[in-house]
Amino acid sequence: MKNKSLLREAEEIQLAAEMVSLGARMQMLEAETSLSRERLLKIYKEVRGSSPPKGMLPFSTDWFMAWQPNVHASLFMAFFRFFEQRTEVKGLDAILKAYHLYLDHVEAQVIEPVLSLTRAWTLVRFFDADLLQVASCTRCGGAFVVHAYEPVHEYVCGLCNMPSRAGKGKTTRAVAKSRTRVGALN
Amino acid sequence: MNRRDFQSEIKELNLSFLMLAQQMLRDDRETAMFRLGVDAELADLIVALSGPRLIKMASCQMLLPAFRFDDAVVAGLLAGDGRDPASASLHAAIIAAGKPATGLRKGGSNEKQKPAEGG
Repeated sequence: MKNKSLLREAEEIQLAAEMVSLGARMQMLEAETSLSRERLLKIYKEVRGSSPPKGMLPFSTDWFMAWQPNVHASLFMAFFRFFEQRTEVKGLDAILKAYHLYLDHVEAQVIEPVLSLTRAWTLVRFFDADLLQVASCTRCGGAFVVHAYEPVHEYVCGLCNMPSRAGKGKTTRAVAKSRTRVGALN
Repeated sequence: MNRRDFQSEIKELNLSFLMLAQQMLRDDRETAMFRLGVDAELADLIVALSGPRLIKMASCQMLLPAFRFDDAVVAGLLAGDGRDPASASLHAAIIAAGKPATGLRKGGSNEKQKPAEGG
């Protein structure tokens, strides 16, 4: 620890602060930086103004299979895969850039960001561990997140084949209402 | 006969497009590559354009920003087809983000194809 580069440390602090402001949890910070736990705790408290949540990270791949999380996860993965395949940025940088793009999209459409940064990070780790893969929808051609080793030759995505109650949550209803109100005024 | 040539409008749009592209690429290269839909070589070329060359390039009679998608599905989705606007926009974004960037040959979903030699 003694002969650690000061500049490198400054970079890591900056990075940790960015991750915290995007909603990263302690486990992600500890895995992605070489800063000590005490330092990370201090950064977390300074940026968020509260202590980090305790407890384990969600570790199930099933969360990404429910309709709404799957759509959001697939959108994030579409951005992430662009960076992985078409540019030189890799790993954490690609995750952060893709997450920024995801947040931009969600904000522009006034939708709740269902996928947190920590979830996005676990999603990429699940891909690295070959627990998840992407499948192309046979109707729209989009790439969607599915379990690894699942038969995908007749795969139809949740957006082409929407379940009847999908997209009828509280937030979408609120958005629809405000839209119609605007429409009525015009 | 009155024939509008739209020359000044096109030049103006080309110029603002190129300047915006340069700014975006200098700010955050990879994100800009995604948003502009260009590959690394084209990105380097745009960033390296000097002022006079930029103006020269802008004053051609063709629009430089071209339609990015030829897919009828994406066009339809972007136009707002679908059950509700929120999921239609997500659907369009997922399909659109999977499309290859300009300057790259069309690649499959998983494998990355090497660009052709020479040419």
